[in-house]
Amino acid sequence: MGAIRRSKTKRRERDVDQVHSDLRNPRQLEQHKALIPDEDRPGLGKFYCVECAKYFESAFSQEHHLTGKRHKRRVRFLKEAPYSQAEADAAVGVGVQSFTAKVLKAKKEEELGQKEMEIDIEL
Amino acid sequence: MRIYNCFVCSHPIYPSHGIVFVRNDAKEFRFCRSKCHKNFKMKRNPRKLKWTKAFRKAAGKEMVVDTTLTFAARRHIPTRYSRDLVAKTLNAMQRVEEIRQRRERVFYKNRMAGNKERQKAADRKLVEENQHILLPYERDMERKVGRVAEEFEEMEVESVGELEVQEVEREKVGIKVKAKRGGRKVAAGGGGMDMD
Repeated sequence: MGAIRRSKTKRRERDVDQVHSDLRNPRQLEQHKALIPDEDRPGLGKFYCVECAKYFESAFSQEHHLTGKRHKRRVRFLKEAPYSQAEADAAVGVGVQSFTAKVLKAKKEEELGQKEMEIDIEL
Repeated sequence: MRIYNCFVCSHPIYPSHGIVFVRNDAKEFRFCRSKCHKNFKMKRNPRKLKWTKAFRKAAGKEMVVDTTLTFAARRHIPTRYSRDLVAKTLNAMQRVEEIRQRRERVFYKNRMAGNKERQKAADRKLVEENQHILLPYERDMERKVGRVAEEFEEMEVESVGELEVQEVEREKVGIKVKAKRGGRKVAAGGGGMDMD
């Protein structure tokens, strides 16, 4: 009887970087949802919160979740780019140039996206 | 052989060290020790852990933008071995490291500049705002000490002016100045701990 060194992954939740790309890549989200048939999900898989990667039993409980603190915190946290191995490498001076270029590009795209959103709202 | 960097703390991982976690989307996460692995399992953000390199860079504790940091990168084009090239590269590495260390030192100095004054100002403010905690004779010590110092300076100026005129008076003033000095010392001893 020793300590289990490996990670137990039976109840593993979706990571932040996965959710981050879920929000930007609908195809990947569909793939993730299709892993388990809807009949086996809570509420027949109808009520899903993408940000928190969580299924709910009913529309009421989902709405209640959306007004909560945990959900809002999660949404705020997902606004910034997720941590990655590239960042860990760049911190010790490996591939700094490519990493900073990537960050700048992502920032620009984000700004463009925000501008489009604003235009949509105005229209 | 490839030396990887830890996902959490960016520490180099040599072969046979650390542990790898492969997520179900085939993404690899390498950890240098169980501390980093546990922190990953707890879903902590390495950018917010103070002991990681990523935090130190993100929080401006270390140099981020610098030309000496742009040399290390993965290159996908293999180079043919040549003795000259290796010798040259080794030399260059040494030189770059020297320059980097010097710049790092300058960066650190700039980062720490003004800390002492800031701390002193904060201490002063603390004392000023909490006068009620001090003993009655310790209150307003700064003003009192300041007054004594001013008097002392005035006297010195006077003594210099009268120096050549009257020797006897100069002696008296000298004694006074000495007395004042002694008084100041006592005052500083009383509230000195709280002053600076």
